[in-house]
Amino acid sequence: MSEFKNNDPRLANLPYAERQIVDEMHRRGASRRDVIGYMMAAGATFAASGAIFDGVAHAAAHMPKRGGKLIMAGDQHGPNDTLDPQLFTSAVDYFRGRMFYGSLTRLTDSLGYEPELAEEILSNDTATEWTFKLRRGIEFHNGKTFNADDVMYTMNRHSMEGSISNASSLVSMVDRWEKVNDYEVRAILSSPNADLPIALGTFHFKIIADGTTDFSTANGTGPYRAAEFKPGVRAVGRPFENFWSEGGYLDELEHYGIGDPVSRLNAFMAGDVDAMVNLPPKAIPQVEAAAGRDVWSLKSGAYVNIAPHIKLAGPSGNEHVWKAMQHLQDRERLVKGVLKGQGSLGNDQPINAAYFDHFADLPQRELDPDKAKWHWNQSGLGSTSLEIVAAEVAPGAVEQCTFMAREARKVGINFDVKKVTTDGYWGAVWLKAPICVASWNMRPTANIMMTLAFAGSAAWNETRWNNEHFNQTLVDVRGVTDPTKRAQMYADLQTMIHEENGMSLPAHRNYVDAVGSHVKGLTHVPLNNFGGAESPVTLWRDDA
Amino acid sequence: MWSLILKRIGVGLVTVVAVSFIIFAGTKILPGDAAQIQLGQNATVENLAAMRAEMGLDKPYLIQYFTWAGNFITGDLGSSLASDVPLTQLIADRYQNTVMVAVLTALIGVPISLLMGILAAMFPGSAYDRVLTFVSVSLVASPEFLTATLLVLLFVLGMGIGTAVVVGSTEGKGFFSLISHFALPITTLSFVIASQLIRMSRAAVLNVMSSPYIEMAILKGVPRHRIIFRHALLNSIGPIVNVVALNLAYLVTGVIVVEVYFGYPGLATLIVQGVQSRDFVMVQGLGMIFCLTYVILMLIADVAAYASNPRLRHPK
Repeated sequence: MSEFKNNDPRLANLPYAERQIVDEMHRRGASRRDVIGYMMAAGATFAASGAIFDGVAHAAAHMPKRGGKLIMAGDQHGPNDTLDPQLFTSAVDYFRGRMFYGSLTRLTDSLGYEPELAEEILSNDTATEWTFKLRRGIEFHNGKTFNADDVMYTMNRHSMEGSISNASSLVSMVDRWEKVNDYEVRAILSSPNADLPIALGTFHFKIIADGTTDFSTANGTGPYRAAEFKPGVRAVGRPFENFWSEGGYLDELEHYGIGDPVSRLNAFMAGDVDAMVNLPPKAIPQVEAAAGRDVWSLKSGAYVNIAPHIKLAGPSGNEHVWKAMQHLQDRERLVKGVLKGQGSLGNDQPINAAYFDHFADLPQRELDPDKAKWHWNQSGLGSTSLEIVAAEVAPGAVEQCTFMAREARKVGINFDVKKVTTDGYWGAVWLKAPICVASWNMRPTANIMMTLAFAGSAAWNETRWNNEHFNQTLVDVRGVTDPTKRAQMYADLQTMIHEENGMSLPAHRNYVDAVGSHVKGLTHVPLNNFGGAESPVTLWRDDA
Repeated sequence: MWSLILKRIGVGLVTVVAVSFIIFAGTKILPGDAAQIQLGQNATVENLAAMRAEMGLDKPYLIQYFTWAGNFITGDLGSSLASDVPLTQLIADRYQNTVMVAVLTALIGVPISLLMGILAAMFPGSAYDRVLTFVSVSLVASPEFLTATLLVLLFVLGMGIGTAVVVGSTEGKGFFSLISHFALPITTLSFVIASQLIRMSRAAVLNVMSSPYIEMAILKGVPRHRIIFRHALLNSIGPIVNVVALNLAYLVTGVIVVEVYFGYPGLATLIVQGVQSRDFVMVQGLGMIFCLTYVILMLIADVAAYASNPRLRHPK
């Protein structure tokens, strides 16, 4: 049995001298960005340096103060807000879920995991059998003691036949759950999955008490109990006195949505709310300039892309056409101009530095009109105008096309960017038009992301690219527990998409939220807003 | 008088029934039925048929209509398709906000604007009248979000008074703290309805002022304020009450922009969310509630007009 307690590169793993330097930088008031810059110059990956900074910052920061109230403003909320973890669909659900519930594992900023309600997590050598030893002495809000039955009940809701869980695909390889004893459960997998504990740390796998069917209130193990919950109105949490761990520092934590971005910004700038999600890129300079207001940005793997259907007979199926498109992307301009620097360059493959399995040595594809022109000439399309359907599905989704069309015109290539409304875009245009845009959120692991959208048989395989070697490697790598081998396989997978898939992926966008300077205990898990919806546990007020 | 009121109630009922037909038919014309939407991607032919049978969607439309209308009358609005929460509960959470804002706006906005309009009618052509006309026309022309933005800019971001969105719960708040709770939405809406009310009340009073019996009163030397409040106002109450009722109905049903802008959940937002998530049950239920609001308020307005104007009670 090999143990996977933690795959997170932490401060403790640094050589002593390096640690001194980072410590010193932090004392001098270096920002997260400074430290990461230094560490990356020294050869660490982004994810690793971020985790190290958190380690230092955490050790150096004042002890959290108790008390006070925070109001955290999300965006769209409405009548389908729910307290049933398996039905969570939106960022407000995820954040609220973290206030009230706990999960077996907790995700770290580098997308590794730490044990939470599980104390110890063990797998066999092929990652087909996972054992979770549960922590003792944990209480639900109603006083019930947490044990294996609760885990069995929760997990079976995701894994049973006819499950309505929104996350059942993340655990589709789990054949069955077995209760070993009152404080130990085991997952028997039908195919290997070395990342199961990461999946179980995501939003939908919050542990509920055995037999729960009424979700009008939340009975979880989280740091706050539900004092008020009205769908589309508000959720209020008050500290749970018997919370088993550190956290839950506030007297009251309130969360609701303000759908309109301008109103949300007004409310934040006026101090009516203490933090807001999805700061519009245009407002970033305004927040940066304001006293006592900070941008809370998470480097994420979310992206916009242009996907040609490469199995069609028309131009979209012509290899030279999509290669020309990839060389016409002005990636720097997109990140600087449209995302206001709150993003990173895309490299025509989905796994960027925010993922644990990012392959950093893949050469960056850059704007190269000459190469584009050469490919275009090879394609034989001449001056034919090529239609690309675009909708404002995310910042940069339309601009990636218009910027490309502008570069293309300079070398005599014509694109016709047809802008349509976002209403019904996903049903009527996406996966149907020969060439169209898309926007993707980040997924917890590289494997989940690639399985969802790049495996030959995936329902959301936008370009219909189907490479046997890729499909096989993607499945095989799930059982690989040797880090070097695993890294090599993920490097191959990313290279294959970069070379052959056909989509242009010019930019990854950060999650950009805004937060008052008095709000401390921020997390940086790159999966969602408000620090990956992991922050409710650790948030506290400096001026409480 | 009573027979008139009964007749008027009868007309109201006919309107309600007609509207209920339209709402029901409207949601049936749209592609996809409730069963399909509830099942979503999991819809197969078999479970779709089963779900339809369970929801009674396999029966003829007429029977479906009567079941739905019967349930509505007994207060059973059904459950939201999107969230499976009883509609009455979703409405209860939001009705408070909507009604409080509507009532507070009416209490503050209506008397002030009526008074201003009548004063303008007392001195037609004066500087006061001209300025008021100019301001009210500008307010009619400016959309709610502009008014709201200017108010937030001026008060919240400029002077640091009040809140840019509605924060917190209304529970246990008294009259004045409720006003400060909803301060900016109330102000915005007061501006919107004031512009209409000022112009209508001014026009209604001026209209009566030109009639012969007022001229007689002027010739007799009755003081101007007495002419207006004693003689002219009673005769112009009919049209004024009508405008007030229309504005009140608007405050309950149509303030979506203000609700979204100030970030508080209300009924207008709820019906828009219902349309977006294709939640037919919710759209039908709220549509009927809005219809009833209009019909009842107009009924009250008409009865008030009858009471104030004998000529309406005894048509020739």
